[in-house]
Amino acid sequence: MRLLAMCTGLCLVFLFVWERVDMVRVGYQVERLKQEKTVLERERNQLHIKVSSLSAPDRVAKIATERLGMAPSQRGQVIVVRVGPLMAPSMQSAPVELRVAKQEPVDVRR
Amino acid sequence: MAGSLQHYRRYVMLLVFLGGFGIVLFRLVTLQVLQAAELTVKADRQHQKTMLLEGARGAIVDRNGKVLAMNLEVPSVFGVPTDVDSPAQTARLLSPVLDVRVSELEQRLRQNRHFVWLARKLDPEQGRWFDRTRVEGIGVVMEGRRFYPKGPLLSHLLGFAGMDGQGLEGIERRYDSDLQGEKQIIVAQRDAKGRTVFLKGQQAEQVPASGHRLVLTIDEVIQYIVEKELDNAVARVQAKSGTMIVMEPNSGALLALASSPRFDPNVLSNLSPDRWRNRALTDAYEPGSTMKAILAAAAIEERVMEPETLVFGEQGSMAIASTVIHDHEKHDWLTFAQVIQKSSNIGAAKAGMALGDQRLHQYLQTFGFGAQTEIDLPGEATGLLKNFKTWGRRTVASISMGQEIGVTSMQMVTAIAAIANGGKLMKPYIVSEIRDAQNQLKRQILPQVRRRVISQETARAVTTILEGVVTEGTGGRAAINGFRVAGKTGTAQKIDPRTRAYSDSKFVSSFVGYVPADNPQLAMIVVIDEPQGEAWGGAVAAPVFNRVGQQALSYLGVSSSEPVKLAMAAGGP
Repeated sequence: MRLLAMCTGLCLVFLFVWERVDMVRVGYQVERLKQEKTVLERERNQLHIKVSSLSAPDRVAKIATERLGMAPSQRGQVIVVRVGPLMAPSMQSAPVELRVAKQEPVDVRR
Repeated sequence: MAGSLQHYRRYVMLLVFLGGFGIVLFRLVTLQVLQAAELTVKADRQHQKTMLLEGARGAIVDRNGKVLAMNLEVPSVFGVPTDVDSPAQTARLLSPVLDVRVSELEQRLRQNRHFVWLARKLDPEQGRWFDRTRVEGIGVVMEGRRFYPKGPLLSHLLGFAGMDGQGLEGIERRYDSDLQGEKQIIVAQRDAKGRTVFLKGQQAEQVPASGHRLVLTIDEVIQYIVEKELDNAVARVQAKSGTMIVMEPNSGALLALASSPRFDPNVLSNLSPDRWRNRALTDAYEPGSTMKAILAAAAIEERVMEPETLVFGEQGSMAIASTVIHDHEKHDWLTFAQVIQKSSNIGAAKAGMALGDQRLHQYLQTFGFGAQTEIDLPGEATGLLKNFKTWGRRTVASISMGQEIGVTSMQMVTAIAAIANGGKLMKPYIVSEIRDAQNQLKRQILPQVRRRVISQETARAVTTILEGVVTEGTGGRAAINGFRVAGKTGTAQKIDPRTRAYSDSKFVSSFVGYVPADNPQLAMIVVIDEPQGEAWGGAVAAPVFNRVGQQALSYLGVSSSEPVKLAMAAGGP
């Protein structure tokens, strides 16, 4: 009986020590993962800023006009076709607006 | 004899042990009782560390969610001079990495201090060098740095934040308390190697919340169009500066606000406050003939004039209160609509005098002149509108043609928007939503009608007159193919500070109007300060209105309401 009590006591002591040690170990692990998370979040934010600066309108306009030879559409070059109630019933709920370049041949009956 | 010697030795040994224990006991009492409090603090200091955790400053985005300002954690490098063995060698090593002069670094590392900053808020690439290389006595901490990824775009409106993350100008300043991240001070345990250890009962997930995200009413693309055209115009006429505002007349929401020349908020060194001043709000100017649009609204609302009322043009000159006012063309009889369309000073002065000083003053106040528009931006001026009781004999005539009154561009565009939307003076605003870090809506700012200033009938009549300014009058170059445009030109002489008289060479050229006139989507003002050469508002500012209007309407997908005149290519069908 006394031996059993001693063994139980020893087990409890070991359990307590193990729990304390493991808590510290998990604490280190948590800290390392937090640091990893911080680094990844930082990288994500850097990429956000990079995307944002690369999509700046002046840069896009410069590439479009100087490198790709594009030009802003002039009035009359874009024809807005509003599709109204004459369409099939399934399309009547939301009027559709089509914007087409004038240079392209367009069959408005389709 | 031998026995007494043995006793003597025992006593000596006893005394030695007692003395030793006495010393240990004394030391024990000293450490555990007398110095207990002091030493406890010292021990805590060694195994605890106090950390200031700061949530990131909130982002600013345009109405379509495009990022305009955002925080990023970047490395800052510090030195502990007491731990640096050779300041000269360390300075030589770090100088090319930090891009700081060797002598400057060495001088800092020789200071008799425990902490010195060597370089703050570096580019992320610069910090990577410290991941690979360890230098004794040199450390790196991460700090939040504000980035404006679009560079100079919207710079006057956004403003900027300081080194310690506090908003100093523009929206950054006005909404600083919303943008600031949460601050938390926590005490963490650390082990022998200085690593943070979370012990039982300590909260491991104490992450302070980021600041709120501001959603602006601004459209990045329209802002770009405005800045590009304004910069071009200012450069073309070699003007001192320029300002342009684009507003939705029905809501008071701003789509674009620009000043030229611009600045890059990422690079603020060597810039004077004059460069980052938001002229659309801070600078009051004499508006000149654009004020005639407001005069027309007041005169028609009070029925002292109808569009068809005939006004004699006095053949181009008229004496008022011992001074003479002139028109740039000689006129005999004009309808009141023609007075506005041809920008007759004499006709405007007569309309103003028919209205009377008290009623004119009342309408100017009602339209918002002489007071802040209450837009959510800092530094707004009230302009200058004197009490009518102090007006001189010529003041009514002067104000009717836009002199003796100071207005800001914001006041003028808000007033013209009231005519455009049928008579309601809207409160202009720039932030539409404030959201938290989880994108939950915290506050929504809705359009706000401040008051009705004129009836819908008067607004329609004034719109017809202002359309005539573009189709038949001085504003022809503001016309946009396929749309009805209403607006008014303005060319105001500036007061020469040396002579305190109106200058013959310095002008403010402006155009204010809205489009489409039959269903206004955009109210715009263009103000060009001190253009060189031809200075007429119709020649300098109206073309900017035209180019911005054309591109913005196309971008917004607003359909033409008028037949479009097509320019056929040579040899085409």
